[in-house]
Amino acid sequence: MMSDELDPDAALMLRVKQGDWDAFTSLVDKYKQPVMNLVYRMLRDASEAEDISQAVFVQVFKSAHRYEIASRFSTWLFTIARNLSLNEIRRRSRHPADSLDATRPEHDDQPAQQYEDRRDLSPPDRVLHGELEEKIEQALAELPENQRTAILLCRGDEMSYEEIAKVLGVSLSATKSLIHRGRETLKQKLKPYLRSGSWSEHK
Amino acid sequence: MKDPQYEQLRELNWRRKLTPAEQAQLNAFLAAHPEALADWEAENSLTEALNGLAEVPVASNFTARAVAAARLAQAQGDREAGNGRVVRPWWLRWLPKAALATVVLAAGLLSYSHLQQTHRAEVIRSLATVSEVPSIPNPDILRDFDTIAAMSVTPPADEELLKVMQ
Repeated sequence: MMSDELDPDAALMLRVKQGDWDAFTSLVDKYKQPVMNLVYRMLRDASEAEDISQAVFVQVFKSAHRYEIASRFSTWLFTIARNLSLNEIRRRSRHPADSLDATRPEHDDQPAQQYEDRRDLSPPDRVLHGELEEKIEQALAELPENQRTAILLCRGDEMSYEEIAKVLGVSLSATKSLIHRGRETLKQKLKPYLRSGSWSEHK
Repeated sequence: MKDPQYEQLRELNWRRKLTPAEQAQLNAFLAAHPEALADWEAENSLTEALNGLAEVPVASNFTARAVAAARLAQAQGDREAGNGRVVRPWWLRWLPKAALATVVLAAGLLSYSHLQQTHRAEVIRSLATVSEVPSIPNPDILRDFDTIAAMSVTPPADEELLKVMQ
């Protein structure tokens, strides 16, 4: 197959496999935002989200020899992102005293809102402006991790349900079930805002 | 709402706006099932809210730091290889374990085979022993046994008669 017929990301990964740093830089530039969006909403800690997101791309580089063109790059990337985030959540639960700045929920489906300005570029203050945005972020954080991840990956038309299922490591029907259950919970928790149409008014 | 058509349209709406044709299907469905309208509006509103989630700010030097970290990881890998530590391919790491497993399996199979052979030999010996036992006589032969046995019993000698005859 000619490289220009390949998915553009797959073509870039072929070049990364051969040590092309420009190709790697292009992939980081393209996916740093969606990776940060997912990782932050899994970890609820801006500083850790940035560290883990960096680690995701380092892992992509180190594992480039294992990347198979048959699978979409974004599926592979978000699988790495989710796994590293889950590892961090498990590490936190085993060593709750490691970080004095973050709250330490016992379970990864409990909210751990981080609003301290640990750096000049602290994301939380910018991200969570307004009460309504805070409500949905909190409701999302209270979902079980697999439902939350499924819903976040489902946003937009970027990934198919089959690809989301691969990231989660479950079947297609289980994926849709996770999204459905998560959304039902969100609708219940956000009912006053959804019914009144407050979202539209406050955006 | 468990209607398959509604569910399908809902799943499509989770990820993108409905096409005009799909919207027409939805309108027809909602006209026939007005009780579903509230749920659809809530779904739409939630989808809008989720799609409107703010982007998490990314540091301006994120890419540069990621590339630097990857270069460092590569340099560390090269150093390990250059220190004489053999960077073995993944399959070579599994080779000793595979060899051990093969030896254990082979030993197990040989033991089982030996056990089978021993058992077979014992069975053969048992059969040979059984085959040497004479067959049980026909019961009809023994029918007159008592009579014949009684005939073979000789009465004791008449001592007094013998004395008289001498």
